[in-house]
Amino acid sequence: MYQLLLTRKYLTSKVMPLLAMAAVTLSVATVLVTWSVMGGFLNTLLSSGRTLIGDVSIHWPNVGFPYYDDLIERLEADPQVAAAAPLIETFGVVALPDDQVHGVVVKGVDGPSYARVSGFDDSVWWRPIDEPLRKDRETREDPRLGGEGYHAGTDWNALLESGLTLSEPDGEAAVVPGIELSGWNFRRASGVYVPGAPAMSSRDGRTDYLNLFLPDGELTLHLMPLDSRGRGVETVTRTVPVANEFHSGIFEADSRTMFARLDLIQRMMKMDAAEKIVAPASPFVFDPASGELVQAQPEVVGVDPARVTTVLVRAAEGVPVESEAAIAAFRDRVADIYAEFAEAHQGEVPSSMSILVRSWRDQNRSMIAAVEKETGLVLFVFGLVCFTTVFLVLAIFWSMVSEKTKDIGILRSLGGSTAGIAALWLQYGAAVGTVGSGVGLIAAWLVVRNINEIHEWLGQNLGLVIWDPAVYYFFEIPSDMDWSKAATVVVAGVLTCLIGALIPAVRAGAMDPVRALRFE
Amino acid sequence: MTETGPIISATNLHKTYKMGRVKVPVLRGLSVSARKGEWVAILGASGSGKSTLLHLLGGLDRPDRGHKDTAIHFEGKPLGKMSRHELDRYRATQVGFVFQFYHLLPELRVLENVTVGAMVRHGLTGFLGAKHKVNRRATELLDAFGLGHRLRHRPGELSGGERQRVAIARALINQPRLLLADEPTGNLDRKTGEAILDSLAALREKLALTVVMVTHDQHVADRADRVIRLADGVVAPEGVPGAENASP
Ligand SMILES: Nc1ncnc2c1ncn2[C@@H]1O[C@H](COP(=O)(O)OP(=O)(O)O)[C@@H](O)[C@H]1O
Ligand SMILES: [Mg+2]
Repeated sequence: MYQLLLTRKYLTSKVMPLLAMAAVTLSVATVLVTWSVMGGFLNTLLSSGRTLIGDVSIHWPNVGFPYYDDLIERLEADPQVAAAAPLIETFGVVALPDDQVHGVVVKGVDGPSYARVSGFDDSVWWRPIDEPLRKDRETREDPRLGGEGYHAGTDWNALLESGLTLSEPDGEAAVVPGIELSGWNFRRASGVYVPGAPAMSSRDGRTDYLNLFLPDGELTLHLMPLDSRGRGVETVTRTVPVANEFHSGIFEADSRTMFARLDLIQRMMKMDAAEKIVAPASPFVFDPASGELVQAQPEVVGVDPARVTTVLVRAAEGVPVESEAAIAAFRDRVADIYAEFAEAHQGEVPSSMSILVRSWRDQNRSMIAAVEKETGLVLFVFGLVCFTTVFLVLAIFWSMVSEKTKDIGILRSLGGSTAGIAALWLQYGAAVGTVGSGVGLIAAWLVVRNINEIHEWLGQNLGLVIWDPAVYYFFEIPSDMDWSKAATVVVAGVLTCLIGALIPAVRAGAMDPVRALRFE
Repeated sequence: MTETGPIISATNLHKTYKMGRVKVPVLRGLSVSARKGEWVAILGASGSGKSTLLHLLGGLDRPDRGHKDTAIHFEGKPLGKMSRHELDRYRATQVGFVFQFYHLLPELRVLENVTVGAMVRHGLTGFLGAKHKVNRRATELLDAFGLGHRLRHRPGELSGGERQRVAIARALINQPRLLLADEPTGNLDRKTGEAILDSLAALREKLALTVVMVTHDQHVADRADRVIRLADGVVAPEGVPGAENASP
């Protein structure tokens, strides 16, 4: 009881405990802010990496597999599956109007169904927006806001519609390249993209502005279908209109990927449905109607169904796909469905033994490993900070026990026991730790919540830009506090104080009461 | 135990402090006792071992071992046989200490400085149960000392005499049988000291308290029923000049 009373009194009437509390507050706040911002940053990176790949993919490269409609139907009949979508993944060469040539990953997709398994909808960049990006609040230089300027007349709604369907308004198949592919979109410090419009002075002295807004133009796509042995057959070249551009948040993807409408890629790759024909025995046949010899027509003996290289699957709402174990279970379920499908189409589709079924984690292994390494690093620093705080608290409590020697003697003379005195100081340590950690938690929460404002202020007033949007590839610093992390750090803060208070507490308890009473 | 038997008796007490390698003998075979309700004064020069004796009687310290028949008995029970825990209980329930320099806890208010003794004794749950009674007793004691209006003050705001009264109230909060007073007036002017001694006398009467008081001041010692002179670590023999027990 006297411990509670004295803890309260010591807390409110001394400077030393405030110092110890400040130490705990600072450590807790520092660790929490670092961990939250770092964690948010890595999570954003991870989820960007997931944007365009669905949860699980069924993949058979190059020649692909037919009857994918049946597979999708089977998949979508399963309650664990929300949606499935066909996709062709291949490599191509893109020639831009200014003679740039880039090797790209080409993904043939059907816009609406692909959007159901991925974040494609949200990644289509050129669209009308009402709210400027956070950092663009004052300048409002984002052309998508529909302000004045070079792109004032652009119909952003029509662009968005074209992007989502990968089609021109007249129905022609179109492509959606990554926003960094052309290099014409200038990324401002505010994170917004402004299409390039370089001035060229022509020979007669006039200044011409070149509109390098890719969605107004077209590009040339070269694909090289390979036969089942991997030999090139011929190069197929098409000039296709650009419907829009996409932004996933992963620079690699945004500079080296291009979406195209599925039927276009199927045709170019010769993976569309085709009639199976048998060449006639002789080149000319007798036509009874006219009584003349006419050219023989090939005989149609069947239809070769259309093929895709990949089917992407998205798990239903409530099916866990985050953890390694959960996504593995879902992947196995998808593999089972494929096995039934392969059974039904035996001999015509790859067997369930050889098909590649991969989860989003399987495809992002290296990035996940990096993220986990970073988290480990944060925890290591956390440990170091705790260690330092332990010694700080120890030093402060040691000197407080010395200062309070006489009180200890008095309490012993009143009948206080060794354990009781030690408990007083431990309790005091716990109180300092709890208050310090609590204040640290609140401080960290305020900082994390306002991290973007603080960052901006630092940038404007001190020229300190830690997260340059040109380097880090998103527009805002993620500002979410993970409450389980917060709990961990707060508990660690209290424990730190308790450990730091332990030795001084034992010393206080073991003090000789007579010497303590004589202490001047 | 009969009514007249000693409530506390110490036999052949030795205490030697070690100052580095030098041994400083302070008590060398001292024997004292006090009957129930008696007020005993122990008179001795500064440094003669008076405080040391009180600490031994109060169970804060133990006498040297290795001497024949060394023992302290409280109501017939030997302190030497008590465990540390039992000694803690002994101090909490049977003994009240009063010190020359008051030894109040500076962060606590006057009332809290008194009740803290009961908190130590009862523990958390016990104190919450007895809180009402303890507060009433503390207020009564402080009222009797004329401090009823200063309950919420801090020790720093009181005069020396007032502080010593708070300290006496604290020593009495647990209704001990034995009050050990270490020069209770040593830090006060004569008039205030007299008043404190008056209070002590009244309380002893009212509570049937046994008081062992040490002092270096003959006038203070004269207030007691009996005076024991301490010299060279033992009780000085009767009849030494100046050691007569003058009647109050
Ligand atoms: N812890 C200690 N270590 C060494 N010497 C001590 C200690 N406590 C007391 N002494 C010495 O013992 C002697 C008696 O002390 P004390 O009992 O306080 O005397 P008094 O109360 O009569 O003035 C003094 O000389 C003092 O210096
Ligand atoms: Mg003394």
